[in-house]
Amino acid sequence: MSGSVIDLSIIDLVLVYGLVLIAASLARFNRIGQERDLLWSSLRMIVQLLVVGYLLKMVFTIASPLPVLLILLIMGGFAVHAVGARVKEKMPRFYQIVGLAMFTGCGGATFFFCALVIGLTPWYDPRYLIPLSGMIIGNSLTGASLAAERLTAEMKERRQEIETSLCLGATSRQASAEAVRSAFRAALIPSINAMATMGLVFLPGMMTGQILSGTEPLLAVRYQIAIMCVITASVAVTSFLILLLGYRAFFTPAHQLRIQP
Amino acid sequence: MRVASGETLSIEEVCQLRPDANGRSVEILRGVNLEVPAGRLMVVVGPSGGGKSTLLRLINRLEDPSSGRILLSGIDIATLDPLQLRRRIGVVLQVPFMYEGTVLDNLQRAFFFRDEPLPAANDAGLLQVLELCRLSLDLLARQARSLSIGQQQRVSLARTLLAAPGLLVLDEPTSALDRPTADQLGRTLQDICRQRQLSILMMTHDLRLAQRVADHAAFLDQGRIVETGESARLFENPHSEALKNFLSSPADQREDGHVG
Repeated sequence: MSGSVIDLSIIDLVLVYGLVLIAASLARFNRIGQERDLLWSSLRMIVQLLVVGYLLKMVFTIASPLPVLLILLIMGGFAVHAVGARVKEKMPRFYQIVGLAMFTGCGGATFFFCALVIGLTPWYDPRYLIPLSGMIIGNSLTGASLAAERLTAEMKERRQEIETSLCLGATSRQASAEAVRSAFRAALIPSINAMATMGLVFLPGMMTGQILSGTEPLLAVRYQIAIMCVITASVAVTSFLILLLGYRAFFTPAHQLRIQP
Repeated sequence: MRVASGETLSIEEVCQLRPDANGRSVEILRGVNLEVPAGRLMVVVGPSGGGKSTLLRLINRLEDPSSGRILLSGIDIATLDPLQLRRRIGVVLQVPFMYEGTVLDNLQRAFFFRDEPLPAANDAGLLQVLELCRLSLDLLARQARSLSIGQQQRVSLARTLLAAPGLLVLDEPTSALDRPTADQLGRTLQDICRQRQLSILMMTHDLRLAQRVADHAAFLDQGRIVETGESARLFENPHSEALKNFLSSPADQREDGHVG
């Protein structure tokens, strides 16, 4: 009976929410003082997911590109905001740079996969476009945060190296090349690790979801492989753009490092 | 080999403001005037925190001054391309930074940045600079970061000299060196100045070094040039109270900048 999913009723949900209450009472019993946080978070989860659920349902029925694009834009906005929240020391022009980089990296990767590879019809089919771009944006967000954070840290740590290079006649690009490389390396590590352990530690979310909803396992695996490749490219392009645009923000046009002793 | 002729440096009414930890702007340099004649060795002495390092950073435009101007052989450096300017002025920073790789890699660095052919280990100019800086040939293949701080100081100097600047500016080149090594470096600088017709400006709180090697000296204290002149006169017969105090204070106090 592939293709059909067992229904989950409201009563079932109430039953499952009882498990959260067990977790909360364990927290209370051990006096770790987190039972309120736990309950509050669980309520937030319910409300947020319900809102998303109704929103998706609406977008699915409207079947028009505008609301889909709007949702993608909002997701992108939240992602840039999340990068801003994660990176404490922001480089100059932080939001423009991160926004442009994520728009290009995630947008490009999503377009390549949805339009050119799987050839969605209609091109904006929300059933594919929204979850796929969500995964791409979510993963690129991690890479973008790491790239932006490491770049500022590297520029500070390597101030002596950078100024020595400037004194020897280097351009700002040459002087910061090592710092940029090192930040790029850091940004790619999570993607590399994720691919290397994929399927060993736990089954990836998208694949699990597809299998649960009745997709043939090998097709689900193929989708998982494809999305990982797309994510890796998106992370690389997004981080690279952040670094390419970002390093300039640390220098004046006269090849002077803005971070002073 | 290329031997650059010495450049003259004129610093005119230079002020530099910088925000402190509370964001208020502090005057690091307050109307500095200084003249380094072509082919001469000049030292700027003064307590730490007196503005020596900031002055150095202005000369090759690691920073630009808030007001005033600096002329290199008569031309305002603000109008020069910073990359060209840094070819003519070689700056050796206080802490020698060694790039990963061998000593030879480090010596080739300036050429690498400028996209010029790298000098080989038997290049005549390179050998001459090595000899001048008293670096032995067998060091070339060593990992630069494994060298002693004194040797790193010399590699840093050689690396700058190899790029054939017309003015050499050094920041506290002896601060990490013991006495004999510091004296040796002083003699090296004198040799360089004479043999290469190079103008040299050295910032230091090492009075012994300054007295031994300098033609001219200036005393920089609290962002002002308090006194300047022939070094023999300046050190033996100081006019200002500030310089007298500085000269008579114990060496460790001068280094900590407690004087002035």
